[in-house]
Amino acid sequence: MTRIAFGRRTALLSGVAAFAAPAVLRAQSDPIKIATLTPLTGAGGPYGPVMAKVAASVVEDVNAAGGVLGRKVQLISEDDQTNPDAGVRAARKLIDVDKVAAIMGTWASSVTTAVAPLCWESKTFLCTVSGADSITQLPHQGFLVRTQPNSTLQVARSGEFMLSLGARKIYTMIPQTPFTQTTFDLMGKLVSKAGGTHQGLVYDDKKTTYRTEVDQVLRSNPDMIFAAGYTTDTVVLLKDIYRAGYKGKIIGFGYSINQKLVDQIGQPEIVEGVYTYSPSPDEGSGAYDRVKKVTGLANPDPYTCQVYDHANLVLMAIAEAKAATGSAIKDNIRKVSQGGGKTVDNAVDGLKAIAAGQKVDYSGASGPCDFDDKGDIVDCKFRYEQIKGGKFTLVKIA
Amino acid sequence: MLNYLLFIATMGGLYGLLALSLNLIWGGAGMVNLGLAGFFAVGAYASAIFTTAGHAPIVAGWALAVIAGGFAGLVVTLSTTRLREDYLAIVTLGFAEVVRLVAANEIWLTRGTDGISGIPGPWKSALGPDFNAVYLLIVLAVLGAVFVLVRRIDRSPYGRVLRAIREDAQVAQVAGKPVLRFKAEAFALSAAIAGLAGALYAHFTSYIAPDLFLPLITIYIFLAVAGGGTGRPAGALVGAYLLMLLLESARFFVELVPAISAVQRAALKELLIAVVLILVLRLAPGGVMPERIPTAPRPSTQGKP
Repeated sequence: MTRIAFGRRTALLSGVAAFAAPAVLRAQSDPIKIATLTPLTGAGGPYGPVMAKVAASVVEDVNAAGGVLGRKVQLISEDDQTNPDAGVRAARKLIDVDKVAAIMGTWASSVTTAVAPLCWESKTFLCTVSGADSITQLPHQGFLVRTQPNSTLQVARSGEFMLSLGARKIYTMIPQTPFTQTTFDLMGKLVSKAGGTHQGLVYDDKKTTYRTEVDQVLRSNPDMIFAAGYTTDTVVLLKDIYRAGYKGKIIGFGYSINQKLVDQIGQPEIVEGVYTYSPSPDEGSGAYDRVKKVTGLANPDPYTCQVYDHANLVLMAIAEAKAATGSAIKDNIRKVSQGGGKTVDNAVDGLKAIAAGQKVDYSGASGPCDFDDKGDIVDCKFRYEQIKGGKFTLVKIA
Repeated sequence: MLNYLLFIATMGGLYGLLALSLNLIWGGAGMVNLGLAGFFAVGAYASAIFTTAGHAPIVAGWALAVIAGGFAGLVVTLSTTRLREDYLAIVTLGFAEVVRLVAANEIWLTRGTDGISGIPGPWKSALGPDFNAVYLLIVLAVLGAVFVLVRRIDRSPYGRVLRAIREDAQVAQVAGKPVLRFKAEAFALSAAIAGLAGALYAHFTSYIAPDLFLPLITIYIFLAVAGGGTGRPAGALVGAYLLMLLLESARFFVELVPAISAVQRAALKELLIAVVLILVLRLAPGGVMPERIPTAPRPSTQGKP
């Protein structure tokens, strides 16, 4: 009885809401639809909301400048709950009900791998920030690109950097992820070639303390710890490493060791001197500055930068193709992302140039965004930073 | 839109299988199984590994999933014979976590956190876009068969013994019923159904990973059974579909709310789901379709009970 009443009331409310929506929305009969599918809740919760926000800002800017192909752009943001099951259900809704041309920003590798088959089967384009090597090896027929350098490249660069800092006894502490084994193999090879030793330890990322793990690592007296987890577990890990009186160097991924982590730890001495690195555009890139402004963050994480680039690339590819479908984006995204032409760092400028018949080459907030045939980025610079007095200071970009 | 509805109906059917599995053991015998996700995972992995690495036919994978699920259920009950209620719940929750951690770490067998992708679907390439419709029919057929089975158990003397154990195991024991055997059998059957649901899930979405089998899915099924009606198979089934309807329709309701950010919308969606579930449990504590206990036959009345 009550259930029915609830249904009626909700239906009524929704009807009212539909009429209350601005008339412009209803008059615009046929907007171009694209979507973000980021983790707004769950383990990816620290990352997803900003990612959705920055994509919305791109769409807003483009709509303010007149839209794409004379049509407004509508962005639909769904939550993948950092869970492949919820991600698949959300993706189904985006593909079949909203009929979006592209889905952007899938974060967890498991979510991306689960969602990717739906995308290529329904010819929807997928832009992801997941790093697992296996993702671009899926039979995606070109319907997938990722802006995150694959884990092999990331780990190789971090290893070289650690060696350049003089580290010879390196210990990697990492949760079980798709790149755990790759990391151990690569680091082992790199470090032993330089005459050092490397050891690795896999920890459970849902634990509330890592005292035993840290004790085990410190027993071998490493001069560098590679803390390769995510923000939530790295907060706990760094505290325990500090309490254990470790005096050597620490390095971690930029997506994990960021301002949020420093704030959550709350004691600057714990993170003093910690190194981070992340894929990066050249210093002073216009796109990076814009992401800073939109998010209000001094150090926007690489995922946020990448989703900004996804939105720009997808919209320019649609303009280049003169069609808002996944196949059109697939066939045209590389025409706007690489291959010379007028360098642009945002879709508004890019759309103008495309309308004027110019060839564009996008260089975004996360880097040059050039893709190979498999959908991996071709080249990528990394930005190395060190925390000094609670602030991230640039060491180098290379 | 049609594809989406077919997809949701299929997922609802799979949740329905899990709800029937839970109802058998929780509603029937009163054993709290918080490890449902674990048995679901055992079935999914058994079938996925057997059909991808072992190149076995899909039906063989499903059969193996039933056996593996049932076997896991037997192991869990026989190793926890002295545990009841909360203690059993904790152990089963632990079991599910163990399964998930093994799946994440035994990379040689399960491909670790990468998960197993490319799990074959029945006639998938031949069917093309009709795959979702055909798979829905398969799931509904399995669901129907399992429903008939558990309802038959529910109404049989066997089901009455289970309910007697639920109300008071000692009394059932005194009445000469082998309580442990009943519990082990019911638990194994329930776990086998969960395993079958896992296998059907794996071949439907073509991808499984340890992240899929977090305790969240167990909680969902508990909500479905509690909301639908504990102790009645039809209630569990209706509960599962109502839950799926609620999870998915919440998406569309929150889209109607203007001027809030994506993260607020996601939070609102979770809130809405929680509020509806609280309302259902507050206004219909026995669920939408509460359990019906048939009145005991009086010796003086004529005819058979």
